Formats: sequence, structure tokens, C-alpha cells
Amino acid sequence: MTLVDFTSLMVSALLLAGIYAVMSVGMTVIYGVMKIVNLAHAGFMMLGAYLALELFERFQIDPILAAFLTFPVMFLLGGAVHWVLVRRLPHADEPTLPSLLLMFGLWLVLQNLGYLIWGNTDRSIFTPRTLSVVNVGPIAISTLRLVVFIAALVCLGLLEAWLHYTWFGRSVRALIQNRYAALITGVHEDRTAGIAFGLGIGFAGLAGGLLGSLYSFDPDFGRAFLIRAFVIIVLGGLDSISGVAIGALVLALVETFSIIFVPAGYQLAISFALLALVLIVLPGGIASLLAKARRLA
Amino acid sequence: MPGTHRVRQMWISAVAVALVVSFSLSCSRNKAAESSIKVGVVLPITGREAKPGQYQREGIDLAIRQINQDGGVMVKELGQKLPIQEVFYDDSSDQAKSASLAERAMSSDGVIAVLGAYSTALGEAESVMPDRYQTPWISTGAAATTIFNHGYQYTFGTLSPTNLLGSTTAEYLGSLVDQGKLKKGLKIAMTLENTDHGVDYGRGIKQWIQDHPGYFNVVFSENFDLGSPDFSGLLQKVKGARADIFLADAHLQDYITMHRQYLQSGLAHQMISYGARGPEADARKAMGDGVDYIFAGIWWSKNLPYPQVKKFNEDYKAFAGHEPDSWYPAPAYDAVRALATAIESAGTLNKTAIRDALKNVDLKDSLLPGQELKFGANGQINTPFVIVENKPGGKVDIVYPKDAATGESIAPIPKH
Repeated sequence: MTLVDFTSLMVSALLLAGIYAVMSVGMTVIYGVMKIVNLAHAGFMMLGAYLALELFERFQIDPILAAFLTFPVMFLLGGAVHWVLVRRLPHADEPTLPSLLLMFGLWLVLQNLGYLIWGNTDRSIFTPRTLSVVNVGPIAISTLRLVVFIAALVCLGLLEAWLHYTWFGRSVRALIQNRYAALITGVHEDRTAGIAFGLGIGFAGLAGGLLGSLYSFDPDFGRAFLIRAFVIIVLGGLDSISGVAIGALVLALVETFSIIFVPAGYQLAISFALLALVLIVLPGGIASLLAKARRLA
Repeated sequence: MPGTHRVRQMWISAVAVALVVSFSLSCSRNKAAESSIKVGVVLPITGREAKPGQYQREGIDLAIRQINQDGGVMVKELGQKLPIQEVFYDDSSDQAKSASLAERAMSSDGVIAVLGAYSTALGEAESVMPDRYQTPWISTGAAATTIFNHGYQYTFGTLSPTNLLGSTTAEYLGSLVDQGKLKKGLKIAMTLENTDHGVDYGRGIKQWIQDHPGYFNVVFSENFDLGSPDFSGLLQKVKGARADIFLADAHLQDYITMHRQYLQSGLAHQMISYGARGPEADARKAMGDGVDYIFAGIWWSKNLPYPQVKKFNEDYKAFAGHEPDSWYPAPAYDAVRALATAIESAGTLNKTAIRDALKNVDLKDSLLPGQELKFGANGQINTPFVIVENKPGGKVDIVYPKDAATGESIAPIPKH
């Protein structure tokens, strides 16, 4: 492999990692605070993609801006879903069957709602940016992927800042770290969980909007990403935001570079092999490794 | 005691009479209930195959409507024409659901035949049912030879085998070499979907190349997973192969995802094909003029110069509200006509008799290339493929075979 090939693959992996990170972070926030595995994540991503499409087609809003505009809408939708359904689930320190069933059922409802509103047609967002390429020396980089990557970095940066520098953000982190200690210090669990759920759904919608610029989609959109999001959050540590970024990078690197050595048909198998390996060797994910390193330092 | 014996005998006689009466009543009720011919249709109209499934359903519905408008299908045994009653099942593009719905149709819903099964994966799942329930099954959208090579007796298909698609693709490229448009000895890179469809397609190409030495060399061939969100690594390998021609075998969604990434990666080849995908309107919507010059081997084209195709195009547009998109509705439409012909020829609704009649069906006014639909010994038809090429401005021309061509091949693809 030449240096150019290697650099091209590295750039592809980095761009892919950005996409993977932004689609997984919402799931992590929800799991961290409520210990709910959001199986409806793909459904909310699909809604985000269609919302971005509607904004693009009806109001000629740039698809990337449209993806950002879906965030507040999806945040409110997430808050409503929490208030109507999720808060009625029994509190637990680990995922429960009722929560899994509720979220799976919600996914099916969203999917069918999608079919009802938008039909089964494949939709896509096509702009002059879709096929344009930036040439950096001999390496061609998709402009759209680059824009989506930057947007993903901005999102993760904003989330990280929100979690560290706002009262609500700190209460979310407190609930993620130790629910009982957080309650003792006066964190309002229901309100914080509602906001965290809204945030998770908001990020799912935003990710859907961004991915909708890259891929064609239908109401079944998101299934392939959901599986990868699972792998990433287990890799990163189920409730760690920074772990998600690292997990996304690891998965993207492994998927991209493993293709050199094994046929592309085994790409998903490699992801699952990685998942199994992490569960055996590093059950706490990369976040536990980082925490250990910090303690030692 | 004799009295008791007589009472018992009377009871037995009464029960026997009741049984005979109820049996004969039920028989006569069944005869009376045969006011229509129930045909099961299992297709995906939701999920990843929804779009082609919907198009195939439209083809089937149009054929049923036209047959019923003509009074239905003559069933000699009953001495009357009966309308076809469609029993539709959406398999949601799910293999397990597809198989269980075909089973339900054949075992408990009383259909005389099942049509449908779009895509090889779903067709394979359904294909074990027809012989089990001795019900004729006509696949309208599954072409892999593996489905038809098990020796099943109730399995039929209105798509020619995929290896023929592969060999026709290579033959077309070979014709471009003969015309001097392409050079001899060009290198081919292939990416094939990880299904029997992909395997057959690749096999067809390799077989033709083996039979015609010197024309092309396959320098890269690899499979990929259906529905993958990222093909950048695979395309990087294609780039590394430094091939002249890029041939892929992909479903519609994968075609769109892969070709978008192909264009974004700055790749360029002298010729590009995604197997049977290429002229779909959705692809042009998703990639604009990025789909120009892609060629596809398809089972049918609305541009075929046959009068029955012209009439079909008009009827289909009036019925579905849009023109036929790619090849999907025609094999489904002809499947219904073949079934109706078989029922008329069998003169009965007996499923085995219909199966036997299907084996001898010969539709002389078929929409498909060659205009004749006959099932082979394995139940699959063997009509030729047509090669179409996307031209600038959204035009799609038939470019091969020559006698059906509506435009010239543009080869190699002009450099931008």
C-alpha cells in the first residue's frame, strides 16, 4: 500500500468516525442517565432525516443547516415522549425488559408513521455539494463528508461544553456517575432525565439530518447505523461521552483498515468480533481504561 | 336389551346421516364459493425492497384488473369465467416473514397459486414452500439459479437467470471491443453483493471471459454486505486495482450509496455498471448527472420496440399514475398472464393440473425481450437481457442487442 492510499484510508476513517460519533452520542446520554437502551434511536434518526428533507424541499434551507434546525424540534419531541411514556417506567440501575419493549415498540410505531406520511419511496437530498470533491494533493475528499464531519465535531464540542459548564449539564453528569449521590445533592431526577432524553432524541434527529445528506433513506432508515451505535457505545463505555468519540474512531479505523486484509463482506462481522473482544477483555469499555489511566496519573 | 341395541343403531344411523348431509352441504357450499380464483401475492411494499416491490405489485394488479375486465379466466370444469381475487401480503422485505406468508397463503388461505418474491434473498426463503404444499409459485423478482436448481416441481420464475445477466454484460462489453470503442485486454474490477445473485452475476462474467480469451482480465473481485453504510474501504481497494472497467452487482439502495461514494472518491473508469441497476429515477434524483453513462443489464425496458410494450406503457401509466421505472412491473405483469393462460389450459382449479399447464405455457405476445415467455425445465424462463445506458438529460437508451437498440453506446465514458 502506498502512502497516498494509506492517507486516503485514514481520512476516510476519520470522516466516518465523525458520522459514527454523532449518531451514537444521543444513545449514550439516554443510557447514562436512565439506563435505557434506546432501540427507537433509528426511528428518531429517520424522523430527523425526513424533517431535514422537508425543510430543504419546502423552504430551500441548506441541508446541513436544516439538520441543525431539526435538533430543537426533536428535543421537544423527546421531552414529550419522556413525559408521556418513558417516565412511567420503573427506575432501575440496569436496562429492564419493559424499557426494551417500550423502545422497540416505539421504533415500530415511528417506522409505520414514516410509511404513512412519506410512503415507501427512497428519498435523498441532492445539492451541488453532494458530489463535489476537495483535492488535497493526490487525495480526494468529499466536501459533503467533510462538512458533516465538522458539523459532528461542533455538536460533540457543544455537548461536552454544556455538560461541563451548565447546571443542567452537571446534573446530567451527576446522574450518570452516581444516581443516589446525585439525588442526595438535590438533583431533580425526573426533570433532568426528561432533558437528557430530549437531548438524546435531539442528537438522534440531528444525526439523521446529517446522514440524510449522505445517504438515500426510507422509513426503515437507521437500522444499519443502530447496530454500529451499539458497538460504539459498548466500546466507548456505556455512559461516557468522550468514550463514544474514541469508540467511534476505533470502529471506523477497524472497519476501514480491516478491509485491506479481509473481504468487505466481513465488515460487519469484524465489528461484532470487536464488540465480543471488548466485552471479554474490557467490559467497562475504553472509558474504564481512561479512568484507570487518570487514577494512576 | 334389544331395545337398547335398536336405540344405539338409530343413533349411529342418525350421526352417519348427519355426517353425510353436512359433508355434501359443505361440498356444495365449496362449489358455490368458487366464485373467484384466489391468487396469493407476497411482495415487499415496506422495508428496503419496498420500491421495486411496489412496482411489481402494480404490474400484477394491472394484469388482474385487465383480465377481470375481460370477464375473468375461463375454467372449463366449472363451465364459467371466474375473476381473479388477489390476496396480498406485505413481507416487509423480511426473509422469515416472506417464507411464513407464502406458507400461510398456500396452507390455510386457500389460494391456487402464489406470485411475487421480489429479490433473490426473499425468493430463496419462499422457494421451499411450493413443493411442500403442492401449490404453483411464480417468482417475479428472484433470478438466482440456486432457487431453480433444487429440482422443485412447483417453482417457476419470470426472470432470466442472473448468470445470463453477467454473461450478457460481458458480451456487450466484448461487442464494444469489436466495434473498436474499447481496447482489447482491459482490466475489470468487480464488487458483488454477498448473495447468490452476486455470485451468479460474477460467475456469468468470468465464464464469458474464459470462453473469449484476450478480451478482458478480472483483476479484482470482492463481495460486500447488503445495506452497508460505507464503501470507502472497498472503493479504495478498487482504486488500488487500477482497473479500466468497474462492474458491481447491487440493490438499489447500495447502488445509490456506493456510486455516491464512488463519485466522491474521485474514481473514474472507462465503463461502469451496477448489474441490473442504473436507470432508476430515484438514482438520478440522488445523484443528478452523476449517473450518466452507467449501463445496466435489465430484464425488460419500456423502450423495447414491440407494440404490446407500447400498449403496456400506456395502460400502466393510466393505472399507476407514472411510467414504468426500470424493469420491475413487466415480469410481474407477464407472470399473471402466464398463470391465467395455464388455468384456462388446465380447465380446472386443481393446483397440480395448473402446475402441469404452466410447464407448457407459451406466451407469444410477452412483454419481455424476444416476445416469447416459456418456462424451462427448471421452471425459470430464459429470455435475453437488454443493455441500457443512461444518457445526459435523463434519457435512457437500449444499446444492446442491436436489433432492439434505440441509441448508440457511448463508450468509453467521456472524461469531464
